[in-house]
Amino acid sequence: MTGGVVALVLGLPLVTALLTQLGASRLGWQSARISIAGATLTFAAAAVLVGLALAGKPATSFQLGASWGFVLFDPLSSLMAFVISGISLVVHVYSRRYMAEEQGYPRFFVLLDLMTAALLLMVCAGDLVTLLIAWHLIGVLLYFLLGHDSSSQTAHRYASWTLLTYRFGDLPLLLAAVLLYQAFGTWSLETIFERIIAAPDTESLWGLPLAETVAALVALSAFARSAQFLLHTWLPYTMSGPTPVSALMHAGIVNAGGFLINRFAPLFVNTDGVLHWIFVVGLVTAVIGSVLMLAQNDIKKALGYSTMGQMGFMIMECGVGAFSLAIYHLIAHGLFKGTLFLGAGGVINEARQDDGVPKDDLYTFVVERRPARRRQPWLVMAGVTLVVPMTILVLAHWLVANDFFQKQGAIVLLFFGWVTGAQLIFSTYRMRTENIWRLMGLMLFSFTIVVLGYTFISHAFDVFLYPDPVFRSSIYAAAGIDIFWFDVLVVLMTLVVVLGWLVTYYAERDGRRRDSPFGALWRSFYTLVAREFFVINAYARLSGWLLALATRINVMLRWS
Amino acid sequence: MEALSYLVAAVFLPLFPASMLFNRVFARAGDTRLRMALLLVWPQVGVFALALGGSQPPAWLIGWGVLTAALYAFRALVLRELNMWTAHMAVSAWALLWPIALASEDGNALALQGLALSVPFALLAWQAGRIEAVFGAAYAGASGGLAHAMPRLATLMTVTVLAAVGTPLFPGFFALLATITRTAPLVPVAAIVILVVWMLWAWAGARITRGFVVGPPCEESRTDISGTVALLAGLVLVALGVAGVGLSGYLV
Repeated sequence: MTGGVVALVLGLPLVTALLTQLGASRLGWQSARISIAGATLTFAAAAVLVGLALAGKPATSFQLGASWGFVLFDPLSSLMAFVISGISLVVHVYSRRYMAEEQGYPRFFVLLDLMTAALLLMVCAGDLVTLLIAWHLIGVLLYFLLGHDSSSQTAHRYASWTLLTYRFGDLPLLLAAVLLYQAFGTWSLETIFERIIAAPDTESLWGLPLAETVAALVALSAFARSAQFLLHTWLPYTMSGPTPVSALMHAGIVNAGGFLINRFAPLFVNTDGVLHWIFVVGLVTAVIGSVLMLAQNDIKKALGYSTMGQMGFMIMECGVGAFSLAIYHLIAHGLFKGTLFLGAGGVINEARQDDGVPKDDLYTFVVERRPARRRQPWLVMAGVTLVVPMTILVLAHWLVANDFFQKQGAIVLLFFGWVTGAQLIFSTYRMRTENIWRLMGLMLFSFTIVVLGYTFISHAFDVFLYPDPVFRSSIYAAAGIDIFWFDVLVVLMTLVVVLGWLVTYYAERDGRRRDSPFGALWRSFYTLVAREFFVINAYARLSGWLLALATRINVMLRWS
Repeated sequence: MEALSYLVAAVFLPLFPASMLFNRVFARAGDTRLRMALLLVWPQVGVFALALGGSQPPAWLIGWGVLTAALYAFRALVLRELNMWTAHMAVSAWALLWPIALASEDGNALALQGLALSVPFALLAWQAGRIEAVFGAAYAGASGGLAHAMPRLATLMTVTVLAAVGTPLFPGFFALLATITRTAPLVPVAAIVILVVWMLWAWAGARITRGFVVGPPCEESRTDISGTVALLAGLVLVALGVAGVGLSGYLV
């Protein structure tokens, strides 16, 4: 039965793509109904699949070809198939009316169906060749979806950027596949993982350790797909494509990096150090993406950089060993970012009719700022700021796993949660409400709900995706560093954060001084951020130089 | 005899500078059918010559082949004339048959890969002929906006370029995968250069497609290819895709 359902999930989008194309000339725009019906059935089949996985059906793989063509059914593939088909269905339904006046309406649905099929094939791939095929096709199909408007040179220019970045990311994965095939003589992921666990010290070309080399290549591929710093430029500039494509891209396609790292989890467990630089790349991307988002005056580019920041966090979570949390993050991010893209037009339209401001007591209390008659003692407030979020976080984690203090990754996430919580409380002081305790109560209630939700759901994901507790611990262990340096880093980060708070506090209190010694430095930094660190200019200069060189060679060789 | 067979192979599985001969011959051939025949037959002569030599080619010839492939893929980036682009890309693809010859003792596999790599270029030569017939020249930018002017031809051209640049499930993808798989343990640097060639192909493909297919609608109406011809050409591409999957078990 499972094999039949998997075949349905993978086959239905292909069948509907074909039927939509064939029916386009007779049915016209009505042919989209075929595509939507297919997307609905695919979602239903994926729901059955995830149901089977939740019911404890063991992981299996189905072989369609001789040396490749393996399809995998396991918790990760079933969950991802469920999410992808769900988002795809929403995008299909939304596009039916949104794209109605666009040229190439049936073609758009055919491409959507093919993209859904490629994404589903990627998550269900049980061997390296199938994975490579799906990984390649996603880049190609995205190029055509982004360049759906065949009269727009701009849309195609940025679609080409995306294609090139994706192709750059395809190559390390291809090289990784070749190295694994050379080492173990099979394309099957299941067999490769079994053999690498049995012989983790296998060597690769030039005597390089196989696990580390392949893991680094896989990570590089994930970086390109998930817009990590220096491979991110395509993301904020691909807003010329249709809105449903932006939604699909930000909600689903860009998250593939997190999936890929999870798929290769048995490989990463046997590495030493790769997860550390994954963490560093994620951290740099999260910080730079967030900073660039704040500096944008174009809302679409700001959304693009917001996604980049989120992808940084997702990769960072993988870097600390919280693999299943990255999956939870990519699903949560996909849902909220997809909602933002698909809802933006409607919200703007509604706002033109009605400001949408609720006239209730709670809204008035939170939004209308009335200064309190007297300020609370700073020591009490500082205590609340620092202690309360920590208490909530520790209690929530202790409820799901009382040994979480043994895992460095959990500590890092706890630290991050604490900083976020404290920052949240800190920012409420600026609201200067007349009843600070009521505001604090509301805010702490929300914070507790978020922390409990995040803790319990991420724990549920952990148990579902990686049922073996030994394996779960080994992922955290692979991400761990020497305890001395870990403590040093935690202290250093605390100092940096506290220093940042103090600088912000004094800057707010003293106001802006024109004669600040850091004024010129600050302006230079702002210019750097406003010009997006000149990364795009550098790439444009490099490609211009390469094209000029190619022209010179052609002239020299007389075009033959 | 061996040296002579390598010399002939270096012309027909073109190695730079012998590769310039093919480009000159291709440019001189004015007839579309002759160009298509050249694209299909030329590498087969090279494969035959290589088979006559008997032994496997030396490693330095493999390196030369890979560098030729890189040179022509790089040069194709800025080419705007479709026939010239096709010829350069074909040379780049055929030069990659040298590394395959190193690792493969099966002459049939080499001939099949040569054919699989050539068919998309033959189709492109035919499409260039159609564009020349309608616009007077097949020049990217000047003959732009095909998606509106000649939608059937534009669709065919897009898919053919995809096949030419080694997109799955076309045979080029499996041929490249097989080449890299077999070259990596023997000449690892060559495998990395082949990956770069693959990337350059994608870049060149995106540039040429944009130049022809994208653009505002033409003011004058143009005669598109007939539905039957489009269907036939489409079937060739489908057959190529099926052959890719079929050949994959043989190649990979």
